[in-house]
Amino acid sequence: MLDHVNGIAFGVFLFLFLLVTVLGFAAARWRRAASLDNLDEWGLGGRGFGTFIAWFLIGGDLYTAYTFVAVPAALYAGSVIGFFAIPYSIVAYPLVFIFLPRLWSVSHRHGYVTPADFVQGRYDSRVLALAVALTGILATMPYIALQLVGMQVVLQVMGIGTSSDSWFVNDLPLFIAFGVLAAYTYSSGMRAPALIAFVKDTLIYVVILVAVFYIPHQVGGWEHVFSTVSDSFTSFNAENADAIATGAAAPKGTIPPPAAQWAYASLALGSALALFMYPHSITGVLATRNRSVIRRNAALLPAYSLLLGLLALLGFVAIAAGVKVENPQQSLPQLFEDQFAPWFAGVAFAAIVIGALVPAAIMSIAAANLWTRNVYKAFINRDATHAEEANQSKLVSLLVKFGALVFVLALSKNLAINLQLLGGVWILQTLPAIVIGLYTRWLHRWAVLAGWAAGMAWGTWLAYGVASPTQKHFGGPLVFLPGTETKVYIALLAFGLNLVVAVVATVVLRAMNVAEGVDQTRPQDYHADLGDPGVEARLDPEAPAHA
Amino acid sequence: MLVGVLLAPAVVLPLWVSLYDREDPTLAGIPFFYWFQILLIFVAVGLTVPAYLLSRDAERADRVRHGLPSEPAGTGGEED
Repeated sequence: MLDHVNGIAFGVFLFLFLLVTVLGFAAARWRRAASLDNLDEWGLGGRGFGTFIAWFLIGGDLYTAYTFVAVPAALYAGSVIGFFAIPYSIVAYPLVFIFLPRLWSVSHRHGYVTPADFVQGRYDSRVLALAVALTGILATMPYIALQLVGMQVVLQVMGIGTSSDSWFVNDLPLFIAFGVLAAYTYSSGMRAPALIAFVKDTLIYVVILVAVFYIPHQVGGWEHVFSTVSDSFTSFNAENADAIATGAAAPKGTIPPPAAQWAYASLALGSALALFMYPHSITGVLATRNRSVIRRNAALLPAYSLLLGLLALLGFVAIAAGVKVENPQQSLPQLFEDQFAPWFAGVAFAAIVIGALVPAAIMSIAAANLWTRNVYKAFINRDATHAEEANQSKLVSLLVKFGALVFVLALSKNLAINLQLLGGVWILQTLPAIVIGLYTRWLHRWAVLAGWAAGMAWGTWLAYGVASPTQKHFGGPLVFLPGTETKVYIALLAFGLNLVVAVVATVVLRAMNVAEGVDQTRPQDYHADLGDPGVEARLDPEAPAHA
Repeated sequence: MLVGVLLAPAVVLPLWVSLYDREDPTLAGIPFFYWFQILLIFVAVGLTVPAYLLSRDAERADRVRHGLPSEPAGTGGEED
């Protein structure tokens, strides 16, 4: 199980992993609350994180290990469109700046823990809230599974558990890592990823800055990197000209062909709109202390985008450095192993693996909160106490992680990737309920539901019909815009239909005088801030802010 | 309103792909396509900071308009 493992790299890796394990359990005592037996404490860390902690927490949450592995992998594989992650992460923050403070305010005023709680309060419809909650859970599960995929490629490159014939031995390290994660998330809740995020992000920043300034220099400078990559792609395209002509292989390039510009832009826009519909992003935002925290972070979080952009280019550096791997996702860890001294390679591997733990923890907490609030409490046990809610969430967070583990180990990894792709399409369909709902009640509750259903169905159908050189269905995120030769992101198309259905159905339902339900919120709730009635700080202000 | 105008370029420029989908001019050997998008990150931050400062005034006006005191009464203000 441990042949070909570099002892020093493994030792450093193990040390850092143990360090965050200790932190994860100790987090239960950090910014200590009277009791962790309610969702405000367990599920939102006491709703008290300031700008500094929130920057680490949300950054650690959004920029996942899978992103750090997959974006350079796309460039390594010559699929330059993967660089859309950069415009995507630029576009997302102005949107956040505009609408999330409203969600923060109304959620604090009414004690909403999940986005579906808001939908329930705003539209007075448990069914619509259920649709939003289930979409969130469905979209989050494969996302957690992908964090495991990110961990797996690092462990494979390190040589841990890859040489045995037994799947159990192969996957044992993954079991252990996830078991430990599950245990401290259970006991510490949101405080665990918040505290671990400090270590994760510090390691990631150090590793990537060193990598970006050191490795390109080692392999002959950026000029050399890009000319090598260019030559390599040109010769690939020449050798595979026939396959490319028949669609059996995709051409490679260093910049997108003009025909792909709309695809690039629509992926960036669709993903940016979807980003803060994901339950784990909203959970991170609701854990902040006041309205300004999220606005300040809209100016501070792009530091992570810079990191991601530089990291992406390492996919090209790997080509120039002669990294040859079957699975492009291994290109970045392999580059680290080839170029760094063993001890620093150990730090780099630990950075990625710990980088998977933070989002996996927050995602499982967010999914568990959705279950507890919008399924369990809304339908199963309507009189659940705070303690019962917290217990339910803790248990479900375990289940969700276990589900993701089974997913990756028993089913195929490709399935997780396909589903994650679908997840982006699905989660965007909750935008009218959440974001439009933040501004106006004009849309009728059943019209929002109808739009959601139409968007979900059409988006899934479109994705099912996409073939790629390697698979017949769910082969990619792009389809032709109906009636044109221009490819665009499926999520945006489905979202367009969603909006049209919602507007038309609203007009019809209004005309028929169908009951609209009672809006629990008032206009001023969307502007309330810490210190206003109903928005008290939940933490003792005298408590030490930093551990 | 002004906040929206300030932030608009941070949304529009990254989505205007034909603007930057080219090799030249390169910067230190890196094609325009890459360094321009990385530059846009700084542009977006440069716009978000004044937008934040402006939004604080807009915020007070919004609060008053909705029947809240212009500043929250309680423990707001300083943070960790």
